[in-house]
Amino acid sequence: MTIRSYWQLDVAADPRRSEAGVRSSQGDTLFRDVRTGALNRYDYYAQVGQAAAQTAFDGLFLPYRPESDDSRIVAAAIAREVPKLALVPEFPAWVGSAVYAAKQAVSFQRLAHERLGWAIAPAPDAGTRAGDGDHVSEDELAQRTEEFLTVARGAHGQRPFSFAGSHFEVQGGGFEPPLDRVAFPQVFLQGETEEALTQSARLADVHLFRPASLPALRSLTERLDALALREGRSVAFGLIQPVLAREDAEEARQDARRAGVGEGTLIGDYAEVAARLADLAAIGITHFVLIATPSLEEAYRVGQHVLPRFRARTETVRAAA
Amino acid sequence: MTIDFYWRLPTHGCHGTIRHSAYDRGDWSPLGPHNMAPGLDRDGKDDGFRYIDHLAEIAKAAESMGFIGGLIPSFPNTDDPWVISPLLARETKTFRFMIAFQPGFLNPVHAARLSASLQRATGGRTVFNIITGGGGPAQLWWGDSFSHDDRYGRTTEFLDVFKGVWKNGSFSYEGRFYQVTDGGLSPLLAAEEIPEIWFSGSSDAALQSAAKHADYYLSWLEPFDQLTDKFARVKERTAALGGEQKCAIRVDLVARATEEEAWRDIRIGFENVGDETRRRLGGQRTDSVGAARQAALRPSEARRYEELIVAPNLWGGFNLLRGGPALGIVGSYEQCAARLDELIARGADAFILAGTPHLEEAYRVGEEVLPLLGRRAETLLQAAE
Repeated sequence: MTIRSYWQLDVAADPRRSEAGVRSSQGDTLFRDVRTGALNRYDYYAQVGQAAAQTAFDGLFLPYRPESDDSRIVAAAIAREVPKLALVPEFPAWVGSAVYAAKQAVSFQRLAHERLGWAIAPAPDAGTRAGDGDHVSEDELAQRTEEFLTVARGAHGQRPFSFAGSHFEVQGGGFEPPLDRVAFPQVFLQGETEEALTQSARLADVHLFRPASLPALRSLTERLDALALREGRSVAFGLIQPVLAREDAEEARQDARRAGVGEGTLIGDYAEVAARLADLAAIGITHFVLIATPSLEEAYRVGQHVLPRFRARTETVRAAA
Repeated sequence: MTIDFYWRLPTHGCHGTIRHSAYDRGDWSPLGPHNMAPGLDRDGKDDGFRYIDHLAEIAKAAESMGFIGGLIPSFPNTDDPWVISPLLARETKTFRFMIAFQPGFLNPVHAARLSASLQRATGGRTVFNIITGGGGPAQLWWGDSFSHDDRYGRTTEFLDVFKGVWKNGSFSYEGRFYQVTDGGLSPLLAAEEIPEIWFSGSSDAALQSAAKHADYYLSWLEPFDQLTDKFARVKERTAALGGEQKCAIRVDLVARATEEEAWRDIRIGFENVGDETRRRLGGQRTDSVGAARQAALRPSEARRYEELIVAPNLWGGFNLLRGGPALGIVGSYEQCAARLDELIARGADAFILAGTPHLEEAYRVGEEVLPLLGRRAETLLQAAE
């Protein structure tokens, strides 16, 4: 099984870094500051992308952050500078027409060499959704996501495609040549509930779990496997995994205390973190979204020191098998 | 006074010449040895270039020639402007991305965030060409089943919400199509300028919507007197509704060193149009009022290109040579500039120009026609007589 590792490009993390607005509010500086608005935060996003590319990550995962730059705009804006990375923006299923979303995905695939993934963002609370003009009731959300993906895939893969659901309607849809020649983006879904697993069993290419103990993750993956089998499908397992890796384990623990990292973070020296990741790979996790901030420096650190050790371990396991 | 000139990014491939109809730039026609972006390498395999690589060349040509930006059209079989614009954002410097889109396809709050993000990516170079017209089966293809007048009502509400969440930290709205409770962009996104809005649509429902939200009213080229009346009506009607419209024209040019050369290219292009193309272009379905005005020209029935000359330097058969409107300007550099000057005198405040092939013609029109504007061409033409 091929392991895919993604670096998380979180546009809301390090929010002051490279931000023109923060710069101008700092007042006069002693050093002659020649920076203009032409230098902006997208340069930083592109640098994080470069860091991930140069340290041999397979892709970038861009979480949905409504308070900052849109994940799909950022993915497209840096796509041509990181020609080998997979780009997986996360966005909600209420963005608009599913046909239009599919059409944009097709353009991205055509113009950027079929590297797009679609991560559907979990729905926020009803109040937040009302502010976004999204009034679909709580118990219809799963149905809406299902219809969104069904319509997007249908319009992508069939012609003529027609559909009449509760949330989407299409007649005579589907793309003509040459728009019908690219693959649909790989679909990433999330969630630990039975409902989320059931949905992934039907619709996901990859299911992204949150950090948990090995036994807990194993029982979730087994459950998802069983559900997917019932649908006659198979779903790859992924994990969104924060890491804090240092040259020395004590240093790592110290930095973890100082930064107050979240529960589930893998903390340790490079070899330890790589070993924990290999344990996760051994229970069948194949898609790793690794997270650490600041995104740029940590991409180099994790990419240069953890990934090679992790790869060496999983390759040994594969060779032994 | 200055006039904004936009160019066009052809999103359905591009022809290497106006004389032939094959799309040999992009992959809309079968790939042959002369094709590019993508092309075939020496072994006959895909050379790895994509159509965006050619669009990047056109955008850079246009910005280097002083075009302020380019229209990026959107149809079922084109690549999408919301993808093209961010892909090219960091490779261009001044080029404004005029995104054509139908508001009904996006949630307005999400669209506001997308737009503010794109403004940040481009340094404020996003412009919108809001499209509401079209309809019938074409609209159902997109998954949109509203009737014509409802669509303008929805466009108005879309822009109410789009601007409302952008300008207000906490915005609520109770419309027929959209309801928002305490929505708003984050300060980071709200600090961006709302993109300039270009509108099309000739019906009264369209003008009501334009009066409220549009900065520019965009029309295809029509016979000059007809267009003068239309602009006057738009300005009058929108003023009565409390809005102010600048008017803009979208027009293709065939500009050559001499008028004879320009008509020669038209003649060859016209003679190369097959019967199948003629039939296909004659039978397109739409309920758009603007399209109906153009259809009165009936290019599909003409046997000689001269039958489609509707006025000096105005030819009504462009839709036989490539997708899009029928009427365009044909002539020497001086004549083309003089016709554009005449349109400015008749109320045009901005233009979207185009020529085939878009890359080379951006340089030609930028170097040979734009510098003649402002009555310089007229002086030259009078001196020549």
